[in-house]
Amino acid sequence: MYILKNALVSIWRNKGRNLLIGIIILVIACSSSVTLAINNSSNSLIESYKNKYEVLATLGVNRENMMGEFDPNNKDNSREDMMNKFSSASKISIEDIEKYADSKYVKSYYYTISTGVNAEDLEAASASSSSEGNDRGFPGGGRGGMGGGMNFTNATSGDFTIKGYSSIEAMNEFIDGRYKISSGEVSEDFDSMDCIINSELATLNEMSVGDTITIIDAEDDSKTYELTVTGIFEEANEDSNTMSMFSDSVNTIITNSNVLAKMMTANSDLVVSTSPTFVLTSDEVVDNFSSELTEKGLSENLMVETNLDQVEGATKTISNVKNFAVTFLVITLIIGTVVLLVINMINIRERKYEIGVLRTIGMKKMAVSMQFLSELIIVAFVFLLLGAGIGSIISVPVSNSLLENEITSSQEEMSNIQGNFGKGNMGERPDSGQENRGNKMPGNLDKFNGVTTVQVFDSINAVVDFKVLGELLALGMLITVISGISTMVSIQRFSPLTILKERS
Amino acid sequence: MAKKILLKIDNVSYRYADAEKDDYVLKDISFDFECGKVYAIKGKSGSGKTTLLSLISGLEKDYEGSITFNGKELRKIDLDLYRSRDIGIVFQSYNLLPHMSAMENIILSMDISKVKVPDKKKRAIELMESVGLDETQKDRRVLKLSGGEQQRVAIARSLSYNPEMLLADEPTGNLDKETENEILKIFKDLAKKENKCVVIVTHSENVCKQADVIYELKKKKAK
Ligand SMILES: Nc1ncnc2c1ncn2[C@@H]1O[C@H](COP(=O)(O)OP(=O)(O)O)[C@@H](O)[C@H]1O
Ligand SMILES: [Mg+2]
Repeated sequence: MYILKNALVSIWRNKGRNLLIGIIILVIACSSSVTLAINNSSNSLIESYKNKYEVLATLGVNRENMMGEFDPNNKDNSREDMMNKFSSASKISIEDIEKYADSKYVKSYYYTISTGVNAEDLEAASASSSSEGNDRGFPGGGRGGMGGGMNFTNATSGDFTIKGYSSIEAMNEFIDGRYKISSGEVSEDFDSMDCIINSELATLNEMSVGDTITIIDAEDDSKTYELTVTGIFEEANEDSNTMSMFSDSVNTIITNSNVLAKMMTANSDLVVSTSPTFVLTSDEVVDNFSSELTEKGLSENLMVETNLDQVEGATKTISNVKNFAVTFLVITLIIGTVVLLVINMINIRERKYEIGVLRTIGMKKMAVSMQFLSELIIVAFVFLLLGAGIGSIISVPVSNSLLENEITSSQEEMSNIQGNFGKGNMGERPDSGQENRGNKMPGNLDKFNGVTTVQVFDSINAVVDFKVLGELLALGMLITVISGISTMVSIQRFSPLTILKERS
Repeated sequence: MAKKILLKIDNVSYRYADAEKDDYVLKDISFDFECGKVYAIKGKSGSGKTTLLSLISGLEKDYEGSITFNGKELRKIDLDLYRSRDIGIVFQSYNLLPHMSAMENIILSMDISKVKVPDKKKRAIELMESVGLDETQKDRRVLKLSGGEQQRVAIARSLSYNPEMLLADEPTGNLDKETENEILKIFKDLAKKENKCVVIVTHSENVCKQADVIYELKKKKAK
């Protein structure tokens, strides 16, 4: 008890010396709390990115395995053979998808089905200069250039490609902004016979929202289906090196998967290509999911592909800022520890006499060490709190400006998505009848609306929270104790007699 | 009645670790100290008086021969406890904590000794009065007191936890004759009334005259 009392008296009576130590701790605390705050807000930004980008698994062609079956020296292996092989090997039925999705690793799933069709009284845009059916079989080329999808040429012919999405979530092109509604909207009813078409196709055929088109099964003329155009979309043409005057999706008619299901029921020979996307529970289950699919009989020509690289890419800048912060923090702590160590050593030299006196009047080495260490800890604690306070005030603008671009871009992206679907508010959607299929329903598009944005804002404003404060105190106390150990060692070594003799 | 031997110095020799092989500061010293008596250790400057005192107070353990307190060899006891309770030391250079007041220095010694004192403040004030320090000096920092005043504080401190033995290294060196006598009276009272063992290192004839026993240290010739 008296040790603490003594420590307090000693701190107060040696204000100058303790102020010096305090200022050093203050500076360390300030810069540490700023870097910790940056680190924390980077973490929550990365976290919210990860929430936004769910872990998506698609099935892609395992080219290695597939190529392995061809003998490169055998000229008989024509390109067509290969394409056929590709096509048949990678055929996945809706039943397969449902089977694969029935897994504890899968949160939800969605898919697209596409096939070639003809249409009555509808002129296809001449695709002569663009490759035939370019868009066909690209259904998984989705969200932000996520790999996946099956890049094989569909064996079915037809002037148009009809592509059915199983849910709003599956409509990657609208979410990532490649397609954007210019008039009308994406139908919310996934049981309807609605469709949306490319604006170029609409112009060519003088069609507008509300018109109907009749599509014809490419294999069987007798099967026709009437679709109502609810919206017209534009495709952002990013790669301007394509020689085509039309965008890739010009001849693509977008509808829901139920339309294709009807077509498949009517014509069991219909050749379609399906592209499932599985939303996985976390990035850690990818391998498990992959081996589970193999067990369930996934063709060895197919393999699980994920968007993990893409998520990583999106958070790269933030990670860099974060790494910088961590490096800076480590350097600050090392320098801080060294400076404190040196000051403590000088301090001990100055206080040798005091140590000698305390020892000659019978104070134990341990007690003296304790007193000196508690002096250091009390000073450190006070200035750490002070530094954390100052740090928290300056860390908000600092981390905001460092991560400004990330924050605003993520916010803008959120609001754009709604526009891409041609809606003011995607959140209030009536539940459609597809819920019984166990799919994540359109209402889940909430996710792309406000939620993530709010999270981002919160994390930036609460940069110096109790977590940071706790971390800071722990770190500060750690370096204080480390630097204080020199004091302890000196006290253990000193002989009171020599100390007292040195004085006189 | 036969006086009890409190401290026994038996054939003690000592040389500083950095001194030459046979350059002993103290050579074959044997002194006995009993309770209830005032001892004077005299000797010229440099004769090893302070050195002997550090051996007795257990600050130095590398001596030859034996020093026993209450029959126990000093090397084998807890010297911190010994210094904080059994003996009181008044150092030649006072050894007070400069950033503390007289009062705080005295109370700290009581704190360290862990001796039960009901009112430490009251006892400190009584002690300071008995060594002739007045009210105005008790809360002043030690650094701002004169040499004589610091010496009194050191004496008050050494008595604060009521030790059996009091060791004082030239305690009256900075005092005038009148105060020297006052202090000596305190020491004599401690021996006679409270049966303490008082050891005073001095070169003052006056102190020697008033002591019960005088031991003399002869300066060893260098080499
Ligand atoms: N730390 C030391 N190392 C070596 N020699 C010392 C040390 N302290 C004192 N001495 C020597 O020991 C002798 C006795 O010193 P000291 O006991 O202080 O004498 P006194 O107190 O009688 O004046 C002196 O010759 C002094 O130079
Ligand atoms: Mg001396």
